[in-house]
Amino acid sequence: MSTDDGRGDNETEGTGAKPTVDAKNTPASDGGVRNDQASDVPTRIREQFENIKQTRRRRAVGWVALAGFLAFTTVQAFAATELLDPDARLGTFVDSLSEFFPITFYFDVIPFLDFTQYISFMRHENLLYDPEIGGLLFQWPPSTADIYAFFFTELGIFQIFGEAGITLAMGFVGTMVGFPFALVFGTLGSERVTPFPFNFIFRGTMSFIRAIPAIIWTLIFIPFLGLGPAAAATAIAFDTIGNLGRLFVDELEEIEDGPIEAMRTTGASKPQIVFFGMLSQVRTAFIAWTLYIFEINVRIAVTVGVLGAGGLGFIVTSQQNLLQFTNMMATLISIFILIISVELFSQRLRSRLRADDIEMSLWELITGFPRRMAESALK
Amino acid sequence: MSYIEVDGVTKRYGDVVALDDVSFEVPAGEFVIVLGVSGSGKSTLLRTMSGLLQPTEGRIVIDGEPMTSPRPEVAMIFQQHNIIGDMSAYSNALSGGIHRTGFLSSVLQLQDTSEKHRALEALDTVGLLEESEQKARRMSGGQQQRVGIARALVQRPDVLLADEPVASLDPGSAQSVMGCLRTASEERDLTTFCSLHQVNIARKFGHRFIGLRDGRKVFDGYREDLTIDVIDDLYGDIDTEGMFATDGNRSKETNEEAAAT
Repeated sequence: MSTDDGRGDNETEGTGAKPTVDAKNTPASDGGVRNDQASDVPTRIREQFENIKQTRRRRAVGWVALAGFLAFTTVQAFAATELLDPDARLGTFVDSLSEFFPITFYFDVIPFLDFTQYISFMRHENLLYDPEIGGLLFQWPPSTADIYAFFFTELGIFQIFGEAGITLAMGFVGTMVGFPFALVFGTLGSERVTPFPFNFIFRGTMSFIRAIPAIIWTLIFIPFLGLGPAAAATAIAFDTIGNLGRLFVDELEEIEDGPIEAMRTTGASKPQIVFFGMLSQVRTAFIAWTLYIFEINVRIAVTVGVLGAGGLGFIVTSQQNLLQFTNMMATLISIFILIISVELFSQRLRSRLRADDIEMSLWELITGFPRRMAESALK
Repeated sequence: MSYIEVDGVTKRYGDVVALDDVSFEVPAGEFVIVLGVSGSGKSTLLRTMSGLLQPTEGRIVIDGEPMTSPRPEVAMIFQQHNIIGDMSAYSNALSGGIHRTGFLSSVLQLQDTSEKHRALEALDTVGLLEESEQKARRMSGGQQQRVGIARALVQRPDVLLADEPVASLDPGSAQSVMGCLRTASEERDLTTFCSLHQVNIARKFGHRFIGLRDGRKVFDGYREDLTIDVIDDLYGDIDTEGMFATDGNRSKETNEEAAAT
């Protein structure tokens, strides 16, 4: 009904009749009526509409200015990175691509990516599996002495995976060694544990460690431990202190006061309040973050390997230096397989930890893995 | 035994007066219930008595010693349980006695057997012996609160302070939690202070009652003195005045929370 009335008013106004109904709503002072429809809208609403319009316009000008500024800056950055006048060699690139992806012909006609070249290099360089170590474990009939040798004299759990195992081990050692330090630094860096100016001793140390990338830390440790996985693993451990510690500090910002107060009223000592009142609240989160950092550390292990520290990263550079692009691609595929496996495992475990459902034990998680993989592959 | 003396305690948060010159004395072994509407200062009173807060004026003396910081002899039970969700009921109960243990042995749970028996005894008192290995987070609200009581008992306190222990529970759980509290304090001869806003539960379980209103003590007496007039005075005008007092009360509460964090 009311809308009908309104429309009726509009029509009467449109025909030039006197606005009788809205006369008291529209003061005489607002004579600047631009169209017929606006005249029956109360001033308050029109003012607000004008306000909004102006704000929008101002905002649009702001966005345009920002876009212009970004474009200008980007051009300068292009110049600084020599992309304005690149020394591009498309032919060479295409040549290398055909080596990256070697093509073979089935029955001399059907082109097909030649996986055999990749696989033969993977086997030749033991990228994913070391048959010498693996042979101890997988033989028929099984030999107890060899199995003992595999686990306790050859220490083959990582080495069975060849170069990928070395990369994985660098990430693993880095995480394991870095974790306790990250825990100490992260906890002491929290303002709730260490009073304000002093916690910055720990936060500052962590910031300093983070400011220098792991690859540079490896360079720093090379004189100490020589060019090899040892220096790389140490560097990754160092890097872990900075990154994981920072995540711990952030996590500790968000805990609740309740359990801390409860622990205070039991008469607990300061370290006990920290452990029971604070750390117990973030235990799951800390484990999840550590798994996440482990994922990242395996990736870092690839990059520091490029320096010559061993593992898959080292194979990538050496093959690149030899211009063996097919072999390089084979290594990249191995890296892909390694990283994806680690991520699958870690993310699976983390979602288990986060989701507070009926816990699957670690054992179930590992033994059930092939079945779950098969199930999801069949879907 | 413990003797509590609250002497002219005033607590201010900026302009807001949460407690206004509250004084009373409690002999050992009484079961005292603090009554009042939300924002009347019950929480502040209990938190001040526990040593978590310091009064602006006045002092609180328990067993001859002023409460300047939390002490093991004074245990506290919280409305939100404040137990550790990631630990089992047993580990939570055990954590009540950590003031008697060093850091490493409390972390690794290397307390001596008598201490561990004490934790299980306390869980038995609150009726959770069977569930002692359950994770606290997976327990119901009433069970969690009883774990909180068990933890307070393991502390071996002389004084038990309970800040609205049943406020977030359904009536059945509230009865059983209050029952636990009452049994525990009788068995162990504790002086108990419990704040409540449900009058029916209060009448059922309390010996002595202290009524607070707008931070002032307006009633102090035993069961026979708690007449319907007194309750009317504490709560009766809530229908009318409540509508005007809501805002003030609410801001007071948020201030309390802000000061607590």
